[in-house]
Amino acid sequence: MASPLRSRPELTSVPTSDVTGPAYESHNLSVDLDSSEGARRILTGVDLEVAQGEFVSVLGRSGTGKTTLLRVLGGLLDPTADSTVSFRGEPVEGPPEGAVFVFQNYAASLLPWRTIERNVDLGLEGKVSKPEMRQRTAEALALVGLADRAKDYPWRLSGGMQQRVQLARALAVRPSALLMDEPFGALDAMTKSSLQDELQRVQERTGATIVFVTHDIDEAVYLSDRIVVLEGSPATIGHRIDVDLPRPRHQLATKELPAFLKLRRAVYDTIVDVHGQAGDVA
Amino acid sequence: MLRNRVNYLGLATMLAVVGLWEALVRSGVVEFQFLPAPSAFGPRIGSLVSSGDLVPAFLHTLQVTLLGWVLASTIGIVLGLLLGLSETAWRYSMASIEVMRAIPPVSLVPVALLVFGFSIRMELTIIIFVSAWPVLVNTIDGVRGVRAELVDVARMLRLSGLTRIRKIVLPAAAPAIVVGLRLALSLSLVLAVVGEMIGNPSGLGDALVKAQQALQPEEMFAYVFVIGLLGVGLNAALRYASARLLPSLAAGGGGVTSP
Repeated sequence: MASPLRSRPELTSVPTSDVTGPAYESHNLSVDLDSSEGARRILTGVDLEVAQGEFVSVLGRSGTGKTTLLRVLGGLLDPTADSTVSFRGEPVEGPPEGAVFVFQNYAASLLPWRTIERNVDLGLEGKVSKPEMRQRTAEALALVGLADRAKDYPWRLSGGMQQRVQLARALAVRPSALLMDEPFGALDAMTKSSLQDELQRVQERTGATIVFVTHDIDEAVYLSDRIVVLEGSPATIGHRIDVDLPRPRHQLATKELPAFLKLRRAVYDTIVDVHGQAGDVA
Repeated sequence: MLRNRVNYLGLATMLAVVGLWEALVRSGVVEFQFLPAPSAFGPRIGSLVSSGDLVPAFLHTLQVTLLGWVLASTIGIVLGLLLGLSETAWRYSMASIEVMRAIPPVSLVPVALLVFGFSIRMELTIIIFVSAWPVLVNTIDGVRGVRAELVDVARMLRLSGLTRIRKIVLPAAAPAIVVGLRLALSLSLVLAVVGEMIGNPSGLGDALVKAQQALQPEEMFAYVFVIGLLGVGLNAALRYASARLLPSLAAGGGGVTSP
């Protein structure tokens, strides 16, 4: 792939144009986590660059530190002192403005005492005017197809709808980057593919950078511009695979392309090759 | 959202018990010198109201109970937030809390009496000292039980410390806090009555003791009945208020009114 930056329609609502460098950049990133035997190194020497507007998937078997890497990028977790992580040229110290998470556990990440609408408001309250908040929340809910459920409580919605609420809450703050931690992992196949396509549309319209953690190879190939594979213990990036499939992608047409099948095979082989067996990577 | 239906089955059981009591006393199966039938002390409530004895005593007890409860709840919630949010504060104080909580409440009555004398301050002190515990402990549990996911949400949306407490921690801990508030309210009434019986000579507790000393069983039972009604009323009011304020918290039924 020549450049990860694709040409996009001029619909973008995200102020990405003021910075031209990469969205994320990490050098020699290592992470220690506390365990019962003291600090344990989870990630080591991770060098990652994510261009603005790029869709990068992080693959790896469970327990390799995919979520840990995402939390470091999002400023929720500190790496070791000799690591450098920057977001749009600024070192990451705590969650930076302009990057938001979509967590895996949607049920636990929404506020059950707030309506859908008020959940989406959460990131805007006190930061924009009331009328603007109303408008942005309505837009975000419309974008994920939940405009008619605004006054409902999250626990009255299905899992797929709850995950849409989380996506709307993230989009309402008009982020330049979305950090998504296995967001569709707990959903059924039908809901999963419709949300994948929704995410594609969202990215097309907003131009947001997306770092997407998954253990689903098909999903990674289908959605990404590039896939990085975490391997080893402590883990580091073992493989980087460019996915130069044409966009917009289509659940059936794209997945029938010989190029798709070849990539899918290549990614699968990478993971089987590394671990001797596929393990719990589906 | 909330419909207060009358629990007819529960009421019927209550009426049956009262009816049985009436029948046993009237038929002479149960005979004590100072055990009146419900029909004998029921009307006494009316006469105590018209004589002007009941209402001031009732209002005194109600006022002290509520005042003590509000103060105890405020102290419990504020300290609970502090201890729940600060690991250091929690480590330093948890041992003392466990020890002080274990002191049986009533054993503090003589102490408070000696320190404050026969006064409303003495009554309030024992109420606060006893009722603050359940609020404190439940608030700490509620705050420490806020799910890590919600803390992550607050952080990634860059909510400031106070906003985080107001919009995430307090609402998430609210169900636990409400349990503490309810326990505290029943305790406040108990301690108010005990304080009035032993220490501060006013209110329903004092009236009850005086009726006993005057060998007036009908009057005594009338006061017991009124204290019971006050307890039921306070609990129902708090349940109604918390269901209105926290619609996601629908407590189970079983009382006189079931939400």
